[in-house]
Amino acid sequence: MVITEQKKLEEILRFLEGCERVFLLGCGVCAATWGTGGEKETREMAARLAEAGKTCTGWVVTEEATCDVRTTRRLLKQHNAQVEAADALLVLSCGAGVQTVAALVDMPVYPALNTLFLARLQNLSVCDERCRLCGACILAETAAICPVTLCPKGLMNGPCGGYKDGKCEVDRERDCAWVAIYERMEALGWRERFLIIHEPKDWNAARHPGFINKREGAAAGGAR
Amino acid sequence: MKSGSNLEKVLTEGHFAVTGELGPPKGSSADFIRRKAEILRNYVDAVNVTDNQTAVVRMSSVAACAILKQIGMDPVMQMTCRDRNRIAIQSDILGAVALGVGNLLCLTGDHQKFGNHPESKNVHDLDSIQLVQMVKRMRDDGQFLCGDKISGGVPLFIGAAANPFGDPFEFRPLRLEKKVRAGADFIQTQGVFDIERFARFMEKVRERGLHEKVYILAGIIPMKSAGMARYMRDYVAGLIVPDELVRRMETAQDPKEEGVRIAVELIHQVREIEGVRGIHIMAVAWEEIVPVIVERAGLYPRPIL
Ligand code: SF4
Ligand code: SF4
Repeated sequence: MVITEQKKLEEILRFLEGCERVFLLGCGVCAATWGTGGEKETREMAARLAEAGKTCTGWVVTEEATCDVRTTRRLLKQHNAQVEAADALLVLSCGAGVQTVAALVDMPVYPALNTLFLARLQNLSVCDERCRLCGACILAETAAICPVTLCPKGLMNGPCGGYKDGKCEVDRERDCAWVAIYERMEALGWRERFLIIHEPKDWNAARHPGFINKREGAAAGGAR
Repeated sequence: MKSGSNLEKVLTEGHFAVTGELGPPKGSSADFIRRKAEILRNYVDAVNVTDNQTAVVRMSSVAACAILKQIGMDPVMQMTCRDRNRIAIQSDILGAVALGVGNLLCLTGDHQKFGNHPESKNVHDLDSIQLVQMVKRMRDDGQFLCGDKISGGVPLFIGAAANPFGDPFEFRPLRLEKKVRAGADFIQTQGVFDIERFARFMEKVRERGLHEKVYILAGIIPMKSAGMARYMRDYVAGLIVPDELVRRMETAQDPKEEGVRIAVELIHQVREIEGVRGIHIMAVAWEEIVPVIVERAGLYPRPIL
């Protein structure tokens, strides 16, 4: 799940300066589940903007992910009148969703959220980052625990010398990723796998921006 | 001979090796390096030169090593993966070899959070094990990591670090084994205070036959004061300082003398352990104590080869 947080209202008001009428659009998938851009939050945001003197021409939450051009285009069409009546659009979704909307309209579009990371959702209040989208997944070699994400040094052959009582040198509150990997390997009876030397990573696969066109038969992966 | 450095000769001829350490200045003074080096001259077989240790900016390790070469000393250039990608690392290694450096210690590097530029971005394109492997390939196969040919040799005696102390403990020897498999010729350990734990580590190392494949130098950190002992016990990642030693430092009439006494005792104790082929004395900012310790440990004079 893509994890987001709401920006402070002052920041939002700063970039909305000069825009009196605003249309709001929330995301019904990640931002809704995590409680940053679903129906409730979008309605609340509209109320806060009204309190700050803005006019809300309307609001809607995408049923599918906002980053899906097909459904978002349709939704914007359905709300065309309210959108047209606004000076700006405020989007409560991840950065991909904001840009999806921006590419569909000829008016200012602003983000209401900061996009943080890709995470595992433990419950509605706790999530932890699990994948940094490196493009060449090594989880098969690391007992399905990602050191690229969870080790602050991104070591491929950890741990470094700094862990203490199983905790990371950089943050004593957090588990050392490599201790966790080793312990899981041990539990799975894979002790010898710990001795495999992982070659330097091919960061080519992590090159941004990613682009894929399946019809052109281009190789999967973001290297472009 | 891999590089023919003094350190390599001392070890291959079976002497108990002594290495020291020098931290380059937070400035540009070559005299600073020379002054510190002169204190260590004749008392150590080689001098480690740290690479922006604890992520605090200092004169580059390559430059400080070159100064040591100019005055006829054998540097061990420390190289971390924190600040350079594989292109810069290989380039700096070629430069170091051109300047006569014969020993390279491959390290991961402390996190920048602990340094004086915590807002910096780290690199870690390689890790220390991949670095060892890459240097071995450069030396033995004459190839860059990408496979291109290198003109001229890259004679280096390759070192790596080992920490026998972090908990959980069981896989510390396995990680050492990885470094040996990657191609390390010598190992310098984290400072040893807990002899019992270190002996257990070495036992595991011997079980896996690693002591016959790599020269292991035990780290020795002389303690200057009770405050330093407490600080290392409580705050330094990867160190275990037994309370007993802290107490000795606290109750000593002359803490510096007690620190020397403890260091000498530890040297005798690690020397007794099979597979320990030398010591690495880390006395940064207290270099003048190194000759005293080396002499009192019965390790002076050093072999001239
Ligand atoms: S290895 Fe790469 S793709 Fe796999 S979980 Fe980690 S960051 Fe994500
Ligand atoms: S302690 Fe573990 S998680 Fe933290 S930087 Fe070192 S290897 Fe990575």
